[in-house]
Amino acid sequence: MEFKKILVPVGGTEADEEAMRLACRLVKKDKGKIWAVYVITIKRSLPLDAEIEIDIRKAEAILDHMETVADEEDQEIETDVLQAREAGPAIIDEVVDRQVDVIVMGIKHKVHLGQFSLGSVVPYVLKNAPCPVILYQR
Amino acid sequence: MAQEWRPKPGDRIFRPRRTKRFRLRRVLGISAIFSAGYGNVGSSIYYALGIVALVAVGATPVALGAAGLLFIFTALSYAEGTASLPEAGGSASFARHGFNDLAGFIAGWALMLSYIVTISISAFTISPYLGFFWEPFKTSPIIGTITSMAIVFFLMVINVIGIRESSLVNVGAAILDIATQVALVIIGFILLFNPPVLISRMLDNWPDTSNLILGIALASIAYTGIETMSQMAEETKHPEERVPRALVMMIITVLVIFAGISLVSLSAMSPQELSSEWARDPVAGIATHIPIALISNTLKPLIAILAATILLIATNAGLIGISRLAYSLGSHKMIPPALSRLNSRFKTPHVAIILFSMVALVVLIPGFFDASVFENMGALYAVGSLIAFMFAHASIISLRYKKPDLPRPFKPPFNVTIRGREVPVSAMLGLAATTVVWAIILITQPYSRWAGLGWMAGGLVIYYLYRRSQHLPLTRLPEERRWPRAKN
Repeated sequence: MEFKKILVPVGGTEADEEAMRLACRLVKKDKGKIWAVYVITIKRSLPLDAEIEIDIRKAEAILDHMETVADEEDQEIETDVLQAREAGPAIIDEVVDRQVDVIVMGIKHKVHLGQFSLGSVVPYVLKNAPCPVILYQR
Repeated sequence: MAQEWRPKPGDRIFRPRRTKRFRLRRVLGISAIFSAGYGNVGSSIYYALGIVALVAVGATPVALGAAGLLFIFTALSYAEGTASLPEAGGSASFARHGFNDLAGFIAGWALMLSYIVTISISAFTISPYLGFFWEPFKTSPIIGTITSMAIVFFLMVINVIGIRESSLVNVGAAILDIATQVALVIIGFILLFNPPVLISRMLDNWPDTSNLILGIALASIAYTGIETMSQMAEETKHPEERVPRALVMMIITVLVIFAGISLVSLSAMSPQELSSEWARDPVAGIATHIPIALISNTLKPLIAILAATILLIATNAGLIGISRLAYSLGSHKMIPPALSRLNSRFKTPHVAIILFSMVALVVLIPGFFDASVFENMGALYAVGSLIAFMFAHASIISLRYKKPDLPRPFKPPFNVTIRGREVPVSAMLGLAATTVVWAIILITQPYSRWAGLGWMAGGLVIYYLYRRSQHLPLTRLPEERRWPRAKN
């Protein structure tokens, strides 16, 4: 299987770093490309193009860190900030738009009401992704 | 795994403007913007004086003064635009916000022409100043042109690698240059300034009206580096305050120095001498005419070194400016994204830098055969930058109507109310004056007319083909991307 185009959605967790390292190693053999995206979810009470400075700054800081991680792996990546109402559909849209070969996501162990939970984004991506998805849990 | 995925109706993605995408940091202060801007505008005196003297003859100081008024109007419009929209792109950015993508592209493409010519013209003028150290730099067109080409090539390589002159070097060069020019003006006023001689030289060599107007038009090239300061807004801390302040500082400095040097130069030598023997290095001409040998001998090498340094910075600023502009236009889908592609190793827009350096080298080729290429390049420079200025003025007026609530930390004085909105008088006068000056240059300068219009036509074809290939309308802002259609 060839990994020419990998999308790494990031959210600022520790798992993102390992997911990015994994993506770098996967893509290296096929000399492919990696996109790291951060999705800012905008409340429906605000316009979609609202510039929420604090969120944009956070996104930039996380993506900067991802670039540093990729640099350490000697891999060039592209980064993007998206604003959407929900993160899941925005990630899938990006996958469809860029014709990505594989999605690599880092997830952290979450417990909700005493039960292990994947949240809402990961199940949406798993359900709707038109390509393989690799989850890295830390 | 889903075979078919359909977005929910109404869902969209918005891509917010990202300053860090350009890897620019807001680190610059007033001194850094001022010095970089001055490097570009202030360096113009080293070649503009000779160009203006070629046509305006005795009226050279008047032409520079009249163009200076136009410069004030333009600076005020840029100050308002940059303070309101502190992003790279300059007038291309104002036009995109004030009108649409197409207007933004036209302004940006014209600016590209201006940058290419500023690269060529600055590099072309370095060698005559170096002629002080080795005569053939000045006398041999082949050696001069080869040197200019080598400088462009050297800067191209440096820019691709990503070495940037530090702000300290810029500030140091600007301070030294201002100090030298002020010293030259003061010494010139003491030793050379002779009002009766100056007046008689001006009146005896007064040009006809058409040449005077052309002289004013050409003099406007002396002030075209103003765009650089606007391009740096995205890297400036508190740009809404600092860029207008730096612009005002530069207006005062440049006007005082240009006025002093043009008056002293005509006191020191006749307009014919200024526009022939010293056409390519007029400031060195003034130093040569200083009667005290000790001062003259001290100033001459100093001017040669400083002029070469500041022109080198101006050439480099042109290359940095054009690559940044290409990156900005590419990221707004106005030119093919290949031009805004970053080098994976050096993180610089290497395709734009190499391509536009090559174009600048081609523009320099006529220098091997034709000495008048210098004058032609000056007018071509004006054609490009005046289009950008026109769009800057028009966009400032348009934004007053289209986006009345846009924060405007800087507003030019003297506004009149038209159709319920305040409109700056300086922008209206600036728009009218730049349009007239642009039309005059097009009418009187066949080389600039055909080269300039050809460049713009070629750009529009590229824009049309690119937008069509991307299924984008010609005028819509591509900031909001709609969902892709699901494949059946």
